[in-house]
Amino acid sequence: MAAADGLPATLRRRDLCSRGIRLAGKMRSDVVDLLDTYVEWQGLDPSASVAAVEGVPVAAVEHWDEQTGTQRLLENLAAYRAFRALLTQMLEEQREQLDEADTALGRALAAVLLQVSAFAYHLEELLRLECRGPPSEEVAGPSPTAHLSLFERKLRGLGVLRELAQWAVRSARDLRQLAKPSPGSSLPPGPAESP
Amino acid sequence: MFSEWNWVAHGLCLLLNICSLKVSGGLVQSCGHIIPESPVLALGSNFTALCILNESCLDFGNIYANQIIWKIKNRVVPKEHYHEINRTVSSVTFNDTSSLGTPLTCNILADGQIEQNIYGITVTVGLPPEKPKNLSCIVHQVLKLTYPMTCTWNPGRHTFLDTHFSLKSRWPQETFPDCIPKTGNNSCTIPDVQFFVNLEVWVEATNALGKAESDPLVFDPIEIVKPLPPHNFSVSSGILPTVLKLSWENRISSAVMKLKFNIRYRIVGNTNWMQVPPEDTASPRTSFSVQGLRPNTEYVFSIRCMKEDGVGYWSDWTEDKTGVTTEDKPSKGPPLWRIIDASHSSASWTVHLMWKALEPFEANGVILQYEVTVRAKSSLSSPPEKYNVNTTNLTLKLPNGTYEVTVIACNRAGASAPSVLLIPASNTEAPVKNVKTLAKHGKLRVEWTAPNSSVLKYVIEWCLVSNSSDCIIEWQIEPGNVQGTYLKGDIKPFKCYLITVYPLYADGQGGGHSVKAYLQQDRPSKGPTIQTKKVGKAEAVLTWNQLTVDEQNGFIRNYTILYKTVNGNETAVTVDPSKTEYTLSSLASDTLYTVRVMAYTDEGGRSGPDFTFTTQKFGKGEIEAIVVPVCLAFLLIVLLGVLFCFNKRDLIKKHIWPIVPDPSKSNIAQWSPQVPAKHNHSPKDETYPEGSFTDVSVVEIEADDKKSFSEQDLKPFDLLKKEKSTSEGHSSGIGGSSCMSSPRQSVSDSDEGETTQNTSSTVQYSTVVLNGYRDQTPVQVFSRSESTQPLLDSEERSEDHAEGGENTTQRQQYFKQNGGQDETNIDRSCFERTKQITSANEGDLVGFAQLQISGQSSQLLGLGLEKNTQEAALSEVLQTSTEGQTVRPETVEGNPPSADEMPKSYLPQTVRQGGYMPQ
Repeated sequence: MAAADGLPATLRRRDLCSRGIRLAGKMRSDVVDLLDTYVEWQGLDPSASVAAVEGVPVAAVEHWDEQTGTQRLLENLAAYRAFRALLTQMLEEQREQLDEADTALGRALAAVLLQVSAFAYHLEELLRLECRGPPSEEVAGPSPTAHLSLFERKLRGLGVLRELAQWAVRSARDLRQLAKPSPGSSLPPGPAESP
Repeated sequence: MFSEWNWVAHGLCLLLNICSLKVSGGLVQSCGHIIPESPVLALGSNFTALCILNESCLDFGNIYANQIIWKIKNRVVPKEHYHEINRTVSSVTFNDTSSLGTPLTCNILADGQIEQNIYGITVTVGLPPEKPKNLSCIVHQVLKLTYPMTCTWNPGRHTFLDTHFSLKSRWPQETFPDCIPKTGNNSCTIPDVQFFVNLEVWVEATNALGKAESDPLVFDPIEIVKPLPPHNFSVSSGILPTVLKLSWENRISSAVMKLKFNIRYRIVGNTNWMQVPPEDTASPRTSFSVQGLRPNTEYVFSIRCMKEDGVGYWSDWTEDKTGVTTEDKPSKGPPLWRIIDASHSSASWTVHLMWKALEPFEANGVILQYEVTVRAKSSLSSPPEKYNVNTTNLTLKLPNGTYEVTVIACNRAGASAPSVLLIPASNTEAPVKNVKTLAKHGKLRVEWTAPNSSVLKYVIEWCLVSNSSDCIIEWQIEPGNVQGTYLKGDIKPFKCYLITVYPLYADGQGGGHSVKAYLQQDRPSKGPTIQTKKVGKAEAVLTWNQLTVDEQNGFIRNYTILYKTVNGNETAVTVDPSKTEYTLSSLASDTLYTVRVMAYTDEGGRSGPDFTFTTQKFGKGEIEAIVVPVCLAFLLIVLLGVLFCFNKRDLIKKHIWPIVPDPSKSNIAQWSPQVPAKHNHSPKDETYPEGSFTDVSVVEIEADDKKSFSEQDLKPFDLLKKEKSTSEGHSSGIGGSSCMSSPRQSVSDSDEGETTQNTSSTVQYSTVVLNGYRDQTPVQVFSRSESTQPLLDSEERSEDHAEGGENTTQRQQYFKQNGGQDETNIDRSCFERTKQITSANEGDLVGFAQLQISGQSSQLLGLGLEKNTQEAALSEVLQTSTEGQTVRPETVEGNPPSADEMPKSYLPQTVRQGGYMPQ
């Protein structure tokens, strides 16, 4: 049993990075599976392209390798907080749509939502270890989808999951980058973790 | 009377008032209540209850607190527990709630006699929950993406109350719903958990008396995962005969968990598992090649997995999967040995080659055939003979000599290395020494001392020695560097095995050294049967049979002979096992002994049946020492007697055996001169004094030719004798012609009937000699003989008496005439009549013969002549009895004469003219 609270900061950071990387990997794996389930349940074309969805953070970034660790953590935290809200919204819509909560899609969405929340917790803890607390969560939630049609909401959900899968990959790379020893970083070298 | 009715009405009215003091809206209002209402109390604590009466009841029913009675169920609580707080409130206090029961009721005595219940409460006694202990959790993977977590704990003591347990969990920033156990109170399963985030779990127990929480656990659920075992597990043969390839699929994502594996395997039929070294399978994979397997062998495999770093739990083993390695050529040649039978011919052998089938791990496949090559070492030029056999033996008839035999086992993959056996002409090499056996671990071990020479290998032969079966040889081969081995076979206890060790050299073979051994010994199954071979006065030679091998059950170490008398103590004698005979000495004479013998092995003995014998009364030679002198003394006495008799023979002869003149030696010259005198003086016979008969002798002569008489010859004579036997006392002796006077006065044959019959073949000669009285010269000499021997005239009459004369019955006739005065007087009448007959040319004995024939009839003569069947015998008798008489045969055929004419009719019938006739 890991009681992480009593560990030194370096080990704590290393442990958080390590498990964050593995969590990101599992999250990506689960999201990929969820995508298949979602497409099936929603009756969508798996190859359907989805344009950028409003409110969904984009994983792609220029000059990724030039980012600092804190910047990476902040961008990740912001993204996952956004995803947490989006997934919560999707779960509510799915429950309303199917009028039942205990479905495979609902359970999978809930599981991914938990992982997003857990990852966000990891990021917040890492930021605390960076001697700067996590930024306060914006009060404003995701944009309402009431004006969207059902199909548009399904496509929007598809876009959210696809982007989350991208973010899972980026987050694992960001944490791996954070775990690397660097002159400007206080993180000690640790075992490379890949999802 | 009126007062009684008044009292009853008052009571009923009071009762109604208590029960339904006030009816309001259809509900009955109680007259009081108890505080607290249905309490839950901790076991062992104190408790106080108050019963509060309604004010309205006080006035109406005259009910006060001092009338309250507390009861637990139907049991009245003692008054000392009561306390009247005021006139409407009564309390009861219990120091220990364990004495409480339910219900607790408040009652009142109306008018001091009628007990009425006011109120009651239910009291619940129990314990607060204990702090749950030993909380532990495990995450079971049930599907690829489903990871329920089950936590178990120890709920603690029984609380006797309804206690709720809940498993709580939370992340640092998020609390999850409680997990409520569905069954039981010591475990709960959270349907799905998320990995890589520390989760804090604890158990909370709650009941009416309190709440308790376990110590929290904080862990990442990924660390307590028991994954599903790999699936689609398969085994496939590799290219090499010693390799099998395993492949499978993992059911947990590598993103979640990296796995390591355990692979175990065993040969089919073997229960012991072998395991692939864990370090070889410590990394994630989906296949593995197991090497170092036996060719042509079926293996069973299974696999399991767990988190790579070893944190967590191993999965279950997969189901067993089997795979068979491919064949390889046999790893060695078959062990080879031979049995040589040289009994049939001195010039050739019958060689029984035999080899053992290779073990499966040696055969490496199915043996298709054996190739046997026999090469004579003496004649290298001759090509070796080859045989292909499917069995494991081959019998060859070979001339005496040295041979080299090789056997190769072949399967589909190839041939084995050859097994070579050198069969020398003779076992001239050094044998092993000191062959000994010992039983160890239920097996029979053979050990020996190696000879000085370098031994290639050893062959150990053994067989079960039994009376009921032949010695079937089993054998095994051991390498030359060992000096002991366990017999590889079904060695049975209590059985005798003959074990022989042969050393095999590169250039020959040593002689066998044999030893007998038992895996385990036991007492003999029966004891020897003992018996005596010879019994003397003080010793007995005992023998017993050797037990058969099947009966021995071990090595006979000794025999113990146990013997005793009827009342004596048993004496034991121990005898060497090689002996089967023993002499017991110092025995008591003429005593009954019981003896038995026990055969002993190392494990004990068993007694044979008892045998009894009696020692002799006399020792050897004792009887002889007594008998021989007695015999000698007897002989001496006899000898002296004989000598005495010899010396006195004349005297004895005179009294016992007087000299009887042999009529055959008589002659006329001596006889005839007297005849005229006889005739001349016959009228004067009566002038002789009767006492002139001085000596009458009867002589019996055994006749040897008795058997020569025919039955017919003897029959009338037998009849004659029968009649004579029945005429006891009526027959007369000599001169007793009538013999009717007195039985005592005649000498009867019947007195000696038996003797007469037994000596029927004797011939009597009687001689009547008339001597002169004292010194007087006898005037007349009369001589008579009854001899049946042929007389002078009989020779002449032999032709006329073919049946009677020649086969004359040698009638035994006791003829006795005493010279006593009395008898002669008594027989006088007979004698006189005899003389009359004599005067009519008839001898005295004619009448005698007639009397013998006639028996005791008064008509003796007539009857006798009427019996023609007796004619021959009669005539014979007459003939033999009428020596020198003239006989006229015609008288026989005539009518029975009158009594006066009777003498004439008894003339001898067989006399003819020219024969001898008395003058």
